[in-house]
Amino acid sequence: MTLVIMVGISIAFLLFMAFLNVVKSGNVINEANLLYAALVFYAGAGALYLGFGVTGTDSYIKFASLATWAGLIVNTAAVAHRWYEAGHPPFASLYEMLLSFVWTLAALTLIAEKRYGVKVIGTVTMPVAIVGVVLMQLLRSEVRPLVPALQSTWLHVHVSLAMLAYAACALSFALAMMFLIQDKMKTESFLAVTSIFTAGIYTAVLTRFEGWGGFNVVAWDLENKQEVFISRGVRLFVTIPDLGWLMLLVFAAVIAPLVLYLLSAFRKDETLLSIANRAVFISILLQTLALVFFLLRTRDGRYSSLDAEGFYPTSLAASPFILSALVSGIFANLLYLLLLWRREDLERLLPSSDNLDRITYKTICIAFPLLTLMIAAGAFWANRAWGSYWNWDPKETWAAITWLVYAGYLHMRITRGWRGRRAAYFAILGFAIVMFTFFGVTYLLPGLHAYA
Amino acid sequence: MALSLRSDVRIVWQTLSSIKTGVVLIILVVIFSAAGTVILQRPMTDPDDMARAYSPAMLRVLDAVGLTDVFHARWFVALMILVSLCIIAASVERFPNASRFFARPYKSPDQNFRRVLPLQASISIRDEEQGLGAAERVLRKHGFKSERIVRTDSFSLFSERHRISEMAVYMVHASLLLIFLGGIIDALVGWRGFLMLTPGKATNQIEMKTGVTRTLPFSIRCDAAGEETYTDGTPKRYWSKLAVVDNGQEISRKEIVVNDPLVYQGVRFYQASYGRTGKLDQLVLNVTPAKGGATQQISLTMNEAVALDPETKVQIVEFIPDFVVQDGQVYARSNDVVNPAVHIIVTSQKSNTVINYWLPEISGIAENASSPYILEPKDLKTGVFTGLEVSHEPGQWAVWAGVVLMAIGLTFVFYVIHMRLWVVPLQNGNGSLVLWIGGSANRNRDAFEEKFKVLVEELTKELKALSVPVPEKQAASIAGR
Repeated sequence: MTLVIMVGISIAFLLFMAFLNVVKSGNVINEANLLYAALVFYAGAGALYLGFGVTGTDSYIKFASLATWAGLIVNTAAVAHRWYEAGHPPFASLYEMLLSFVWTLAALTLIAEKRYGVKVIGTVTMPVAIVGVVLMQLLRSEVRPLVPALQSTWLHVHVSLAMLAYAACALSFALAMMFLIQDKMKTESFLAVTSIFTAGIYTAVLTRFEGWGGFNVVAWDLENKQEVFISRGVRLFVTIPDLGWLMLLVFAAVIAPLVLYLLSAFRKDETLLSIANRAVFISILLQTLALVFFLLRTRDGRYSSLDAEGFYPTSLAASPFILSALVSGIFANLLYLLLLWRREDLERLLPSSDNLDRITYKTICIAFPLLTLMIAAGAFWANRAWGSYWNWDPKETWAAITWLVYAGYLHMRITRGWRGRRAAYFAILGFAIVMFTFFGVTYLLPGLHAYA
Repeated sequence: MALSLRSDVRIVWQTLSSIKTGVVLIILVVIFSAAGTVILQRPMTDPDDMARAYSPAMLRVLDAVGLTDVFHARWFVALMILVSLCIIAASVERFPNASRFFARPYKSPDQNFRRVLPLQASISIRDEEQGLGAAERVLRKHGFKSERIVRTDSFSLFSERHRISEMAVYMVHASLLLIFLGGIIDALVGWRGFLMLTPGKATNQIEMKTGVTRTLPFSIRCDAAGEETYTDGTPKRYWSKLAVVDNGQEISRKEIVVNDPLVYQGVRFYQASYGRTGKLDQLVLNVTPAKGGATQQISLTMNEAVALDPETKVQIVEFIPDFVVQDGQVYARSNDVVNPAVHIIVTSQKSNTVINYWLPEISGIAENASSPYILEPKDLKTGVFTGLEVSHEPGQWAVWAGVVLMAIGLTFVFYVIHMRLWVVPLQNGNGSLVLWIGGSANRNRDAFEEKFKVLVEELTKELKALSVPVPEKQAASIAGR
C-alpha cells in the first residue's frame, strides 16, 4: 500500500505544482498542460503496474487502472483540443501521430486488462506511453496547416486505420511475450534476446562515434526549433567530446552478458549464467549513466562540427531516436530483471498459456484486416494524389512486407496448425517489422511518405 | 514416356499447390522487396547520386542483376507470376473439397461421425417427437433455422448458419489474383507521363517517363493556374482550370487541385507541380511625358507595340527575370523572378530615333534620360506554368474490385463462422432414449463451445419442463473438444 500512497502523493504534488504555475500564467486548459497531466498520470500508473509486477499486490492494479483512466481522459481532452485547434484529426505530423498512438495504447491497455484479464500488460505499455509523451515534448508541436497533398478525407481514413492496426500489432506482440513467459521458456533465452536487442541498439548508436571519443549529434537551431541543414536534406552534425567513450564502455557492458551467455551455453556452466545476470545489472547502471550524460550534454553547451566553422548548440529534440533507443535499452533490461526475480509471480498472474495463445491469434485476426484496409485506403488515396495506386515507395513496400508476414503467420496457423511458441515468434517478428515500417522507414528510407 | 511426363506435371502441380512453396515464395518476395527499398532505385534516383553511392564495379553488378530497378526487373515479375500460379494451384487443389462441403452439406450424421465429433452432448428424453420439437424451439430462439432430415433408418434435425464462410478463403485468394491482374494490365497497357502547360495553351503531346512523346486523341487546354498560400507562406492549394478539347469541340471543364484529378477517356490529369515560367505576361506602366503633362496608364505584353501618341510607340523587347550586369552587358542569372529587368524600346517616328529604355535604369546601357516619356512600372505579371502528371491505368478497376472482394472475404474469413448443429434421437446402449446433439464450427471454436453449452443447458431445461415428473434423471454430459 505504501507505493499507492507514495504515487498518489507524487501525482497530487506534481499536479498541484503545475497548477500553481498555470494559474499564474492564466491559461489553464491548453494542450501542453493536458499532456503534462497525462504524463503524470501515466507515470503514476506505470509505477503502480511495475510495483504490481514486482510485488504481486493485487490492490495496486486497481489504482494503476484508475491512474490509467485519468491519464486517458486527460489524453482524450488533449486530442480533442488539438483536433479543434488544427481543424483536422491529429494525424498530420509525427507529433500528432504520437498523440494518437499514445491514446490508442492507453485505451487498448484498459481493454486488455478489463476484457481479457491481462493485468500486467500495463507494465509494458505504460512505459511506452511515457516515452511517447516525453518524445512529444521534444517534437515540433505547433499546429501547422496541411500541405495540399494531405488535404484529403483519405488522410484520416488511412492514418486512423494504420494507428489501429499498429496498436493491435503491438498488443499481439506483448501477448506473445507473455505467452513465452507462461510457456516456461527458459529465462536464459530471454537473456539472449534482451542482450542481442540492447547490443543492436548500441551498435546503431555507435555509428555516431567520431574520432577521439566524440559522439555526433544533429545540430539544433534553437530559434526556429528545427535541425540545422547544410544543404537540402543534409543535416549538420556536431561532436560532443568524450561521450563516445562512454557509449563504447556501455557497449562493452551490454555485450558482456551476451558473451557470458554464449560461453555458458557452450560449456554448459551454470555459474557463468549467474555472472551474466549480474552483468545485466551492471549494464543497466552504466546505461542509465550514459542516458544521464547524454541528457546533460545535449541540453547545454555548444559544440564544434567537422563540417562547418564555429560552434552550434544541439538539443534532445534533434536526436529523438538516440533518446528512445537509450530508454528502450534500459527498459528491456529492466523487464528482464523483473522476469528473473519474479518469474513465479508473473506466471501466477498471467492468464493460462492456452488463453494467451488464443488472444494473440485473435488480436492478429483484428490487426490483419485493419492492415489490409489501411493499405487499400492508402492505395486509393495515392491514386488520387500521386497519380498511381502503387508506387513501390519504401513505406508502401514495407507495409506490403508487414502484410505478407502476417499473411504467412495466418497460413501457418490455419493450415499447418502452428500454435504456441512458433506462432509467438512469428507475432514478435511481425511487430518488429511493423515498428521498422513505422519509424525505421521514415528516418532511414525517405520517399514519398516524407511527412510521416 | 507419356506416363513420366504426366507424373512430372503432377510433381510440378503438387509443388506449386503446397503451402511450403507458398511460404518460400512469400519469403522471397519479402527479401527482394526489402532489397528494393534499401538499394537506390534507377528511375527515381539521379544517376549522379547512384555513382556517388556505389563503386562503378558494384553498380555494374547491381544493374546487371536488376537490383537497381527491382520492381520492374523481369525476374521480379516472374516471381510475382509464380506467386499467382501458386495461389491458383493451391486454391484449385483445395477447392473441390470445400465446394463439396459447401454444395452438399452433411446433414445426417452417421455413427462414426457421432463418435469422433469433439463437441457433443446427450440428454435423455421420453419421446422422439417431443425431444426434436423442443430442440427446434430452442434452436429457433437462438436464431438457428432447423430442418428435419428424414432418412430410411433415421430421423433427425440439422441446422446451420453462414455456410458461405467455407468459401471465404477462396474469395480472398481470388481477390489477390484480381489485384495482380490489375497490376499486370497496367504494366502492359498502362502508361504515365508528364505535361506542362501555360494558361491559354493547349496540347495533346505527353512526355512519357520513358522519354518518348505520346499523342492523345484529344487535347487538353489550360485556362488558368494558380496557387494559394497560408499566412506563413506554406502552400495551401494549387489549382489549374482545364478544358478537354476533342475534335475542336470543348467537351468538359474542370478545376483540378491536388487530390482531385480530371478524368477523360480513362486518362487522368493530376496537379503535380506549379511555378513561374520566368517569362513576362503583362507589365502595367504609368506614362508621363518628359516635358510634363497628364499621366496615362498602359499595359504591355511581350513584343506588343503600343502607341503613346501618333508618333511614339513603346514595345517590350526583352524581359530578364533575374538580371546581373557584367562588363556593360546584362545577363540572366536564373529563371526565377527575383530581380527582374525589362528592356523597352521607345520609337519616335518624328525624330526617327530608337531609345533603349530599361526598368530599372541600368547605368551605361539605359538611355532613359533621352526618352520623350517617363515610364514608371506599376505592376508586373509573370507567366505561370502548371505541371500535370498524366496516367492511364485501366487495370485499376480490377485492383479496386479486388480490394472490395478482399475486404468482404477477410470479414468472412475472420468474423463469419460456419456453425452446424445436429440433433438425433437415439437408442442408448442400455435401451433408453436419448437426444444426441452435436455441433461444429470452422473457426473461433471456443466461443462456439460456450454457445453450444448454453444451447444444451436450455434444451435440458425445456425438456425437463415438458416431462414432469422426470422418469429417470440422467445428467446431461457434455464433452469438450
